[in-house]
Amino acid sequence: MIYALTTNELADRSDLWDEVRRLRHKIFVEEMGWDDLRSPDSLESDQFDHDEAVHHLCMRNGRLAGYQRMLPTTRPHLLTDILSDLCEGEGPKGPNVFELTRYAVTHAHRDGRRGVSTVGSELIAGFVEWGLERGVDQVIIEFEPMWVLRALQLSFLARPLGYQRTYGRQQVVATLLTFNEQTLDVVRSRRGHHAPVLSRGMPEDEVFRRAS
Amino acid sequence: MGQFDDTLQFIEELDRAETPETVCRQLLGLTRSFGLTAIMAGTVPRPGTPKGKQKSHVMLCDWPQDWLERYVARNYVDQDPVVTYIKRSPTMVNWRSATSELQAGKTARQVMGDAGEFKLKDGFAFPLITIEGTIVMVSLGGEFVDISPEGVGVVSLASTYAIGRAMQLQNAQAIFDQRPDLTPRETECLKWAAEGKSEWEISQILGISEHTSEKHLLNAKRKLGAANRVHAVAEAIRHGYIS
Repeated sequence: MIYALTTNELADRSDLWDEVRRLRHKIFVEEMGWDDLRSPDSLESDQFDHDEAVHHLCMRNGRLAGYQRMLPTTRPHLLTDILSDLCEGEGPKGPNVFELTRYAVTHAHRDGRRGVSTVGSELIAGFVEWGLERGVDQVIIEFEPMWVLRALQLSFLARPLGYQRTYGRQQVVATLLTFNEQTLDVVRSRRGHHAPVLSRGMPEDEVFRRAS
Repeated sequence: MGQFDDTLQFIEELDRAETPETVCRQLLGLTRSFGLTAIMAGTVPRPGTPKGKQKSHVMLCDWPQDWLERYVARNYVDQDPVVTYIKRSPTMVNWRSATSELQAGKTARQVMGDAGEFKLKDGFAFPLITIEGTIVMVSLGGEFVDISPEGVGVVSLASTYAIGRAMQLQNAQAIFDQRPDLTPRETECLKWAAEGKSEWEISQILGISEHTSEKHLLNAKRKLGAANRVHAVAEAIRHGYIS
């Protein structure tokens, strides 16, 4: 299940907020080498964790298994303020365009294979479902060029926004993905799960879960 | 900016390509300016894959025909240092570095020497990984290659889009191949059945006997695996025979 929470809702649950920031630090600083984000408490957060950011938490047995953050392009975001050299010319902006950042799957849920894990594909189904519900049909993603092929396999319409460059230990290319209901069908068929993945409520509290 | 616009235009054109051969030709149009005149992209067959099956792993190929024949006939895929390198460490590699870093043996060096005979003297290869985790190896080369690191970025991104397009087309083809084989007459009868016409009415419209129109509809029903006429019409729509 994926829970879509605003920064305020997430901050109210300090257990989850810590888990999110710990995962982000582990993946982006320790694994990918984005040293600008390094933090002495090993919790990563930045200026884009503002009140209009939406955090997608993929939960497994009450624990955080995967994460992504959706940023509105009507405000400053990574492509405008941090990764602007990935974009040639003016980047896409508008209420129907969000930027997907900090896509991360915990090591325990990577399935030990090269392909996309079930948590990874649930996050993909999650942002498509989330977008279609609120008139969002385009996301900007700064990802490894390899992901372009997967996006095309999933029937996203993909367009690069600039040249690929090296960040930390990775090659990164900013890409605009456009999607519709058919994309959601393909994503769901590929996963073999047709039920919606977005949950309406809040993840169960760890303390509450243990007690029940 | 100009070069980036070219890349975008290239991707737009890929979306209009309808066969993998067109995709391959379009990609070569882009790579040729860097001296990359030959391309091979496909999944890597497991060692010992029968020669007859090796070609089914190919997604895009514009190698000289003689070279492709020799490559398959001599089972070079198991010896090719570039293939071995990518299998061991799926990262981009220059053909020459693959040969030297692996301290390639005599057969491996022979593969590269043979390639040179076909004007494939220099090039590079890189892996792509599909959703399923399958490695697709892309190898580009030529006789006089002249490419900057930025050029490599442009070429690899363009190749990724090209292979994505080729995969979409192969999928479309696979769906097409699984389609039941309806004759034009059967399709025509179904089209009128979908308009609510009876067998007699269809026979009048098409100028055939009522018995013949009934036979066409029964055959179509059988081929579509349908339980009744409504089901047959639904299946025919699903398979794109009628709309």
